[in-house]
Amino acid sequence: MSIKFSSDPMEYQLCSLLGQCTTDIAVVFLGRYTTNGCLVAMKKYNMEKISRTETELIQDEIILMRQLSHSNLLPCLASFVSGHDVVAISPLMGYGSCHDLILRHFNTGLPELLIAIILRDILQALNYMHQKGMIHRAVRASHILVGSDGARLSGLRYACCVRQNSNNYSRRVHSFPLTTQPNLNWLSPELLQQNLLGYNEKSDVYSLGITCCELANGVVPFADTPTTLMLTEKVRGMAPQLLDCTTYVIYDDTGQPNEDTDCRMNDQMREYSLRKFSEPFHDLNELCLMCDPHERPTPAQLLTHAFFKQNRRNTQPLYELLLPAVPIAEENVPEIQDDLESILAEDKMSALDLCSVNWDFDR
Amino acid sequence: MNDKMAIVDCESDDLLCVRDSESFDNNKPSIWLNDDNDDIDIQQFFHKVESDEIIYQTKKKRCKMIGKYVMGDMLGEGSYAKVKEALDSQTLCRRAVKILKKKKLRRIPNGEENARREIQLLKSLRHKNVIELVDVMIDEEKQKMYMVMEYCVGGLQDMLESTPDKKFPTWQAHGYFCQLLDGLEYLHSQGIVHKDIKPSNLLLTLDGTLKISDLGVAEALDLYAADDTCYTSQGSPAFQPPEIANGNEKFHGFKVDIWSSGVTLYNLTTGQYPFEGDNIYRLFESIGRCQLTIPTDLDPTLQDLLAGMLEKDPETRLSLQLIRKHPWVIRKPARTLDFVPVPPRAGDETHSMTVLPYLFDAYGEASHQGSNEYITERQLNEEQRGSRLPVMTDDLGVGCSTSTADNGAAAAAAEPKRSWRRPTSCLSVKRLSSCRPS
Repeated sequence: MSIKFSSDPMEYQLCSLLGQCTTDIAVVFLGRYTTNGCLVAMKKYNMEKISRTETELIQDEIILMRQLSHSNLLPCLASFVSGHDVVAISPLMGYGSCHDLILRHFNTGLPELLIAIILRDILQALNYMHQKGMIHRAVRASHILVGSDGARLSGLRYACCVRQNSNNYSRRVHSFPLTTQPNLNWLSPELLQQNLLGYNEKSDVYSLGITCCELANGVVPFADTPTTLMLTEKVRGMAPQLLDCTTYVIYDDTGQPNEDTDCRMNDQMREYSLRKFSEPFHDLNELCLMCDPHERPTPAQLLTHAFFKQNRRNTQPLYELLLPAVPIAEENVPEIQDDLESILAEDKMSALDLCSVNWDFDR
Repeated sequence: MNDKMAIVDCESDDLLCVRDSESFDNNKPSIWLNDDNDDIDIQQFFHKVESDEIIYQTKKKRCKMIGKYVMGDMLGEGSYAKVKEALDSQTLCRRAVKILKKKKLRRIPNGEENARREIQLLKSLRHKNVIELVDVMIDEEKQKMYMVMEYCVGGLQDMLESTPDKKFPTWQAHGYFCQLLDGLEYLHSQGIVHKDIKPSNLLLTLDGTLKISDLGVAEALDLYAADDTCYTSQGSPAFQPPEIANGNEKFHGFKVDIWSSGVTLYNLTTGQYPFEGDNIYRLFESIGRCQLTIPTDLDPTLQDLLAGMLEKDPETRLSLQLIRKHPWVIRKPARTLDFVPVPPRAGDETHSMTVLPYLFDAYGEASHQGSNEYITERQLNEEQRGSRLPVMTDDLGVGCSTSTADNGAAAAAAEPKRSWRRPTSCLSVKRLSSCRPS
């Protein structure tokens, strides 16, 4: 993007609400840059509601987004303070995040070809970050944004450098990411174990494997599982799988595979037991989810994996693969504009909400 | 390795049975009373027991939760508190929990007051090189208090003791000393005199960050106090400055920390203490005279720094600002190949979570652990012999899973081509069916 975006709040016009951040610290709006009429995503952080650690993380995120430059990483075009808010301007990714796509249109997971296209983009982004000595530490469907020209990785708030302190000659990291609770299901066993062995970039590859399952199954592995059970399962080497007819067998009460389509089997389960993913896809997923980080391939190695051969053969354009999802674009902006007034009013109300102010006398 | 630990933990009362119990029964008990019968064949009393006939039951790790924390093994025990490892079940962050018993606190002078003060101080502090107090829980019924802190792998004292000459290579000591200065500068800026700086109160996190801990005897200066005058000291004798050893009624607090940091630096770099004595009187006499000898084989700038910090007169003793500008501090020594690591804990060099075995127990490991519940002496010996070999069978210590047998999936995955795919475990199926698309 060669257009220069100004950091004057007056030059941006709010259009509608796009979504809420997973951790509730930010709201994303669709906005318009009035200078050239370009649609952008405006992420608003209400600094009044944010803790000190999170403020630092947001600051680091914005700095990192401006420092890194790769076509598959979400950039920050401009950032400024407006009232109580810090606003970060990013290019609009019309289809939203992969998590949104799953929730709205693909409840049992995205089609394999689409996953191959998205994954290739994300691997490029990870490869770039790793080359720069960074670990992303929060690869998950909700941090993968899809636009009409491909996927971009966001969520750099949790990223860290491989060499944090100068004493660390071995390329290992030991720090447990702060405020990482929403990402726990995606994190690698070695990161979660927090021992002296530490972890490195390969941790991102494991998260990518979990994201693979999330994209293919429509639900993240270990969803609804107590976190401590998730930890023990990962440490014991339990690797989640892509659910299809080779992995998803429905057992009846006697422990025998049950072929009958009885009432217990809902549509989602039937879908799983009928479809079939390709062998390379299963293989890629298994490689990513190797318990031993040394056995996991690097993103560069994964890019040469047989799974991505289908991308070359594919002639279908991305928008067709994404149907029934349609992107937010110039044509469909006005129809979603009506809800904005109420949101803004609510926003103003919360700004006036004086009762919730807590004075902290301990500090 | 957790398995092994469990076995080592076996207590004598866990010794379940010794075979040949029938032959014991055959011996008449009266024999034991009849001690003038000398020519009894000794073989009748002492039966040879093969090592595989001694059977231990591995100690069960019963999962215990306090608040949202899952408790692990004991990390250390002090005069009035125990420290256990814990895991935050929500964030999965490793923690250390200091458990204080009211009954024990009352027995030591100022015990309760010190604990209360430590909590109050730690709550208000936030610095990279000062231990963070995360949470405090009180159990009125059990009269216990739990201080949840950042997890540290070990202290400098344990590291020193693990080496033959009880000292660090210069570059390593320099790194720790600089972090100590950072932490101390912060504490002093907050008006806090630590009063008990010594290697055993300097802990390290997994990534090697130094944390000043144990503010039990620290003093927060009054906000409106004119200077740093203190009247009491309860720190460790070997680290006390001459003004305290000589029994001065009042003294400058900050300079006390400078002195004890000087003794600490002396200890870290030479493996010795500048002042020694058979008992506290001799020790204080030696400190009070303050006839300092610094080994002449040390770097001259380091000798100069030590002399400046261990200056008898607190007025002329170096200040923190001057120490920061000292040539030895400014010039970072070159890293050499020697390095003192954190010593292994219970044979575990990686210091892996001790909470895991408890969690495995809680989540019913019956199918995996069944075969290992009883273990014979011979197995134990063989296992110990095996572990001494340099060959690392599980190269990541991820082998917290009890045996490789349960890792059918991992083993199968390692094969290059496989036709059979393990069906999804019932766990994930259950999770899935309960998961509704919204």
